[in-house]
Amino acid sequence: MDQPTTQVLLIEDNPGDADLVRLRLVEGKSPVNVNCVNRLADGLAALSKELPSVVLLDLNLPDSHGAETFRRVLEHSPNVPVVVLSGQDDEALAAKAIHQGAQDYLIKGNISSKHLERAIRYAVERQALLRALEVTQKQQLEFKNQFLSHVSHELRTPLTCIHQYVTLLLDGLAGPLVPDQGDHLKTVLKSVNQLHAMIRDLLEATRAESGKLRVEPRCIALGELMQQTVAMLRPTANEKQIGLEIGLDQRLPLVHADPDRVLEVLINLVDNAIKFTPPEGAVMLQASMVEADPDSVYVAVSDTGRGISPEAKTLIFERLYQDGDSIDNNRSGLGLGLFICKEIVKLHQGRIWVSSEPGQGSIFTFTLPVYSLAKLLAPVVIYQNQLRPSFVLVRVELTPLTSPPRGNWKETWRQCLETLRHCVYLDKDLVLPPMGAAGTAETFYVVASTDLQQSGVMTARIREQLERVMDLQSKCTVTISAVPIELPAAQAGESLERQVQTLAECVSEMILKNMDRKQFCVPKAPGSN
Amino acid sequence: MARPKILVVDDDPDLVRALRLRLRANNYEVTTATDGYTAIAAAQKERPALIILDLGLPVGDGFVVLDRLQTIDSLSSIPIIVLSARDPQSNEERALKAGAAAFFQKPADNDELMNVIRVSLSPGQQQQMAPWPS
Repeated sequence: MDQPTTQVLLIEDNPGDADLVRLRLVEGKSPVNVNCVNRLADGLAALSKELPSVVLLDLNLPDSHGAETFRRVLEHSPNVPVVVLSGQDDEALAAKAIHQGAQDYLIKGNISSKHLERAIRYAVERQALLRALEVTQKQQLEFKNQFLSHVSHELRTPLTCIHQYVTLLLDGLAGPLVPDQGDHLKTVLKSVNQLHAMIRDLLEATRAESGKLRVEPRCIALGELMQQTVAMLRPTANEKQIGLEIGLDQRLPLVHADPDRVLEVLINLVDNAIKFTPPEGAVMLQASMVEADPDSVYVAVSDTGRGISPEAKTLIFERLYQDGDSIDNNRSGLGLGLFICKEIVKLHQGRIWVSSEPGQGSIFTFTLPVYSLAKLLAPVVIYQNQLRPSFVLVRVELTPLTSPPRGNWKETWRQCLETLRHCVYLDKDLVLPPMGAAGTAETFYVVASTDLQQSGVMTARIREQLERVMDLQSKCTVTISAVPIELPAAQAGESLERQVQTLAECVSEMILKNMDRKQFCVPKAPGSN
Repeated sequence: MARPKILVVDDDPDLVRALRLRLRANNYEVTTATDGYTAIAAAQKERPALIILDLGLPVGDGFVVLDRLQTIDSLSSIPIIVLSARDPQSNEERALKAGAAAFFQKPADNDELMNVIRVSLSPGQQQQMAPWPS
């Protein structure tokens, strides 16, 4: 019977050992083809050219030692089964390799051909099994998420019906209501809104898990979002006679984050705090800087509630974790809130954690990146270790024709931003993240590495492309202008970093002054840093 | 003055009934269709001032209706508000690109919905497009 030939890659630098292994392989019953190399680099090259059925790997090679050898092979070709060839004294190391993903190990000097053949077959089968398992897991996750999306979609229909008719009654559209009837209906409406929130959470958590959650970072002031949160939740806090306060560090820098998502996190954390704090307790929302970490803003929500047990602390950020009894049992929700918060914070490259002891309240803290124009500019304004020769600030202003704006304004400006990004050279121009919370009248800025004359080409392209954005003319007027950025002459010995910082400061000043077509940036007097 | 006519396209009779009550209370006249095919016919016959459109319809889903309406000259300028249970993340952009004026996910906030209807129907909206600045 014809058996397929097993391709073996033998990475072994000791010629004696290599010959012995080769001999044993050939002695075996099944056909093998052996490729032998004596350096890791050659082994990796062979793997790049063609994947063998199995790799026999000596861990100690001229260009790599021990666990590092295996790690590099695994990194390079994660799907090829590896059998480690270990010396008599290296058994512990070989065992460690198995732990890290090798399929098997053999001790040199003790290898019979039957032994070798079996080890190879076993390694190949085991690897195939592992891969099949991975595929199944991925499929199951995909199926689960699709199922949850489908379920949350289906639940909306009856929910909508209930919502419609309850609001109809409450709005008096089916006749006047007796006060008690109104109260009862309001109670129903509260549950409807809860259900709605649960469905939304379910969908959001599912999206977060499938990697489909999106954040659109803007340059925002946290203080506004915190005040919004407190305003929204104050009625709930008052109902329970819980004090709700804000503490803001005076000179808090702007952060680079998605305002809608951050608001979601804030609301989640403060709402939780209120839920788990007994009446006459207090909840505090604070934002501050930490000296040891100047690139982040720290936001903390603290409460005088029951605290969290050490076992629960590691679990609360997982999905569906519900604490036994919240103070109000009828407001428990699905237990997805903290999971969603964690995912959102992760998407902003931030961290979230809790410090708490039972009976001593809790403090939930998360970080958000500080908005640094200099950091965003650096990659595009530096070329061959120097600042590029000239820059122009292009301003694109969208003013809706009607108030409130027609159609979905958020979608409109988002499309414009996307279009703008396609009009610039990504390696030399920067489209600034939008400023402030998305309102009406959006203004976008581009720092372009060019001169005023050349910038005309860019502005013409922007105008042409924006015209193509669906129906834009019926929704808003577009004003495009460009102004050269006047920088003070670089001082002798000034670091590149400092020059970029100066550019960033100049741009920020121009933007703050709400420049129009005729205004020019007033250059700083030399030496007046 | 004649009350503006709104065409509601949705195959959920309970929702349609509730919506009709609410729209009538806001002084709109209401006509309905329950699938994609009759929706187009109804639009041609009734010439509504605005259309509220569900996406999950039998016989040609909401997107088919949107596309079709754009291709018929006499109907392409009627503002269309999509009211759907589907997830906006994957559907809102597509609907707006296909010509919808707004996307609401069910259950929609009644005040917001009424507001957008009112704005879409106000006389200022029917004006000619503003000229591009030179």
